[in-house]
Amino acid sequence: MRVITTLPMLKRLTRYSTYAMMMSICIGISASTASPTTANINQDLSPWQQIEAQGSNQDVYFYAWGGDPQINAYLQWVGDQVDDKYNINLVHVKLSDTSEAVSRVLAEKSAHNDDQGSVDLIWINGANFATMSENSLLLKQWANKLPNFALTDPENNPTVNFDFGVPTDGMEAPWGQASLTFYYDSLSTSKPPTTLNELTAWTAQNTGRFSYPKPPDFLGMSFLKYVLVMLHEQQDASTGKNTSAQLGLPATEENTALVLDPLWAFLDDFHPTLWRSGEQFVQTGAQMRRLVDDTELSLAFTFSAPEVPAAVQRYDLPQSIRSYAMSDGSLSNTHFVAIPYNASHPQAAQLAANFLMSPEAQAKKQTPSVWGDKSVLVQSTLSPAQQALFKTKQPHPSALPFDSVKRTVSEPHPSWVEAIQQGWQARYGVSP
Amino acid sequence: MSQGFDKMTKKGDKPKPITLEKKDLFTRIVSFSPKLLILILILPVLCGLICVLLPALSWLPALEKTTLNLQGFIDLWQTPSIMQMAALSLATGLISTLLAFVIALMILAAFFNSVWLQRIEHLLSPILVIPHAAAAIAVGFLIAPSGMFARLISPWLTGWEMAPDGMFPHDPYGISIILGLTLKELPFLLLMALGALAQPELGKKLRQQYTVALNLGYYPITAFFKAVLPLLYPFLRLPILAVLAYASASVEMPLILGPNTPPTLSVSIIQWFNDVDLTLRIKASAGALLQLVLTAGLVAFWLGGEKAIKAIFNVSSVNGKRHYADTIWQKVTAILTVGVIGFMLLSLAGLVLWAFAGFWRFPAMLPEQFVLLHFQSAFTQMSTPLVNTLSIGAVSTAFAVFLTLLCLEAEQLSAKPLSHFTSFIIYLPLLVPSIAFLFGLVWLQQLANHQSEFFNVAFAHLLFVLPYVFLSLASSYRRLDPRFAHVAASLGAAPIKVFFQIKLPQLFAPILIAVALGLAISFGQYLPTLLAGGGRIATITTEAVTLANGASRRTSAVYAIMQMALPLIGFIVAWMLPKYFFRSGAR
Repeated sequence: MRVITTLPMLKRLTRYSTYAMMMSICIGISASTASPTTANINQDLSPWQQIEAQGSNQDVYFYAWGGDPQINAYLQWVGDQVDDKYNINLVHVKLSDTSEAVSRVLAEKSAHNDDQGSVDLIWINGANFATMSENSLLLKQWANKLPNFALTDPENNPTVNFDFGVPTDGMEAPWGQASLTFYYDSLSTSKPPTTLNELTAWTAQNTGRFSYPKPPDFLGMSFLKYVLVMLHEQQDASTGKNTSAQLGLPATEENTALVLDPLWAFLDDFHPTLWRSGEQFVQTGAQMRRLVDDTELSLAFTFSAPEVPAAVQRYDLPQSIRSYAMSDGSLSNTHFVAIPYNASHPQAAQLAANFLMSPEAQAKKQTPSVWGDKSVLVQSTLSPAQQALFKTKQPHPSALPFDSVKRTVSEPHPSWVEAIQQGWQARYGVSP
Repeated sequence: MSQGFDKMTKKGDKPKPITLEKKDLFTRIVSFSPKLLILILILPVLCGLICVLLPALSWLPALEKTTLNLQGFIDLWQTPSIMQMAALSLATGLISTLLAFVIALMILAAFFNSVWLQRIEHLLSPILVIPHAAAAIAVGFLIAPSGMFARLISPWLTGWEMAPDGMFPHDPYGISIILGLTLKELPFLLLMALGALAQPELGKKLRQQYTVALNLGYYPITAFFKAVLPLLYPFLRLPILAVLAYASASVEMPLILGPNTPPTLSVSIIQWFNDVDLTLRIKASAGALLQLVLTAGLVAFWLGGEKAIKAIFNVSSVNGKRHYADTIWQKVTAILTVGVIGFMLLSLAGLVLWAFAGFWRFPAMLPEQFVLLHFQSAFTQMSTPLVNTLSIGAVSTAFAVFLTLLCLEAEQLSAKPLSHFTSFIIYLPLLVPSIAFLFGLVWLQQLANHQSEFFNVAFAHLLFVLPYVFLSLASSYRRLDPRFAHVAASLGAAPIKVFFQIKLPQLFAPILIAVALGLAISFGQYLPTLLAGGGRIATITTEAVTLANGASRRTSAVYAIMQMALPLIGFIVAWMLPKYFFRSGAR
């Protein structure tokens, strides 16, 4: 009967919990149905001013790889900035693979959702861009009209108009430049390999201390492309033929074997000297970095050189880490942001993309302690005050020394990605 | 009151005054609720399955593919090492379930009717609320070549100055996956068994039989297997099948612990779905159907195995033999139990150390310094995922608890138990591999309301929260002493008043536990959040899985700890509150 005596209290409690439940449901409803306000369009304004008027006060869902806390923190800073400037609510949707966003847009197209897409802005380059542009999933001719695009000096700097050799047609706004950087644990190895030939000699001596991320991982593919380019340069030097030229052309049935067979022959010998005898591969560059911290690997590489000193400062890598660039060549490319054809807030996305290209945002991004990604802006187009933003302090001992990239190697045609990936999967994707 | 008095005088002294001829609104809602429950569980699963069938047959209008053919299945068949993927899924699913089941039985048998059983239950039950991703991260920390085990024996024993080129995790045979799944599912099966034993009539009967068997000279373990298990097993069948289905098709565990040359089938399916080559979605859908067939095959195999074992041991269960090396088994079980608990504690210790670690070079047993940096940097980014996690959990759990209570009330009002069909349907979302029906469900949801990811995710969570909440509440509800309700009703209380003022207060503690369980299940959902939210709804769990394969071991440990802390806080609150509000609520 004790139950009966406590009834009034329970009544109150039930009432409170009902209120709480209703509250949470209401909050949920309002959060999910909050819709963007549409600004008035004024005919007298310039095209960019119209975009500013329409794009302000909206949400931007920015789909970008979310595996690096440093990059995530930078995007949070960007969110604060565009919030101050345009009252834009930038939401970073963290992907573990960019292709997730590509398939998202495709799914929306298949559901005939042609103007209410969930992706407003997407961080992209190479094969993902090629896929999206082939399937007409991207908004066209906007990036080259952004005010800050002129600061990239597109006339003299073709890298901002081509993504892995494919013309961007104004579908992508350049965001940063990267080149393949190697790093090693100086307590485990004193003399790291600086050419492809030295690398094979090194792994033969230090078996199990090197690996690369499994394709289709972007970084793993980049390593394979570096190997491929180097192999063809060596072959051309010894035979006098020019097979390297094929790399700039699309992959076809005729040239695939000619171009890729040297790579497979190389990997057949190379894999047994790798981590886990090449029977298991890491999934991502970040996982590879973790294995360096675990001392399982002594040598690794990255496309974003500044992540190395940043990781040391966060204790994620040992203090004995040093960075360098291969002397026979560093694979280099530009990465971009794009807007899907069905974005819900295309104007706001353009405002955000333009901000990402601003000297302020680019200088912040190039700061080693923030991200360290190389700016796409050309210094000569900037005012002295803007140039001053890019001056940096003394780098961390583990950081890539200035001017270490001696020679850059450009990316092969994106169609080679698919060819390498398929061939790799068939040969090495299964345990022997 | 006077109205009720009238009714009573009219109806006289009938024992069941609640079933009135004129149903009020509450009664009507209550009697409708089981139908709603069935609808909510069946429709998404069936529609989801149908909607994954179309793309599997190459019907994908977005790619201008509108003719039906079998290309997806042909592609699937021609995938290199498809057999290996399927075999890995089957083997890890079956072996981990079998191991979890056998170890659970051994613990039950060895410690039945002993105080140790309750202690083991207390030690293991927190594992139940740890999401799979967090458990996988913790296990990975322990068995890696640079993990806690290797550090404990290096370099003094092994001479390893650098981490060896080891095998775990990601071993090609899936041993790491089996280890992770077994450890995670063992507490679930054990608690389901203890839950069945907690049913007053069944528990009493089994304990009596067990005592009789002991008095007849049977050794404890033998007595358990001969006198208790045959009656207990039917209550374990559905949970085991749910574990089997989950284990064969799970994504998080193989993603974090499994090999990738090749991975398990479910991981491949997710990768095909997310591949740059969009036509691979056809193969992925075909793969989802293959997964469905594999899981169904495993379930059939298990049910067949049951029959076989029953036939084989039918004779020996009544052969009168009193013991089968019982003392040895007792010791083996004790060692095994200590091993399991030690393994779990050590992996948790590793997790905590990593979350606070500064530089920590192999083979040092402890970090060089302890820092709060990883928590600080994680917390600056955690607010949105945290709010999402909590609000989705709250909405889906609130709905699940409410619907469950109505269904159980319907059962009592109509005075007949829910049909076998309904009881089975409650398990449906747990028995059908989620990877098979979620793709279709997401497709449907996008068609219906593509702008409210929050509700899509909350609804997808509901499919998994509802079964657990129902199972958790059902036994307590059915155990309610009906006399209180009868007295109240005969005093004129309307059914709604009886429900809210008599029954619910008595169920205060079980409801809180069910809420905590519902929240825990919702917090741990990875695949439904990822798919129904289109990646736009980040929760602690989705972030943890993303980080487990990326960035920093230390940040990943922080997220795993958060994943464990949230449900634990829920359960602690659920255990504490009744002690302060009603002492009767405490067990």
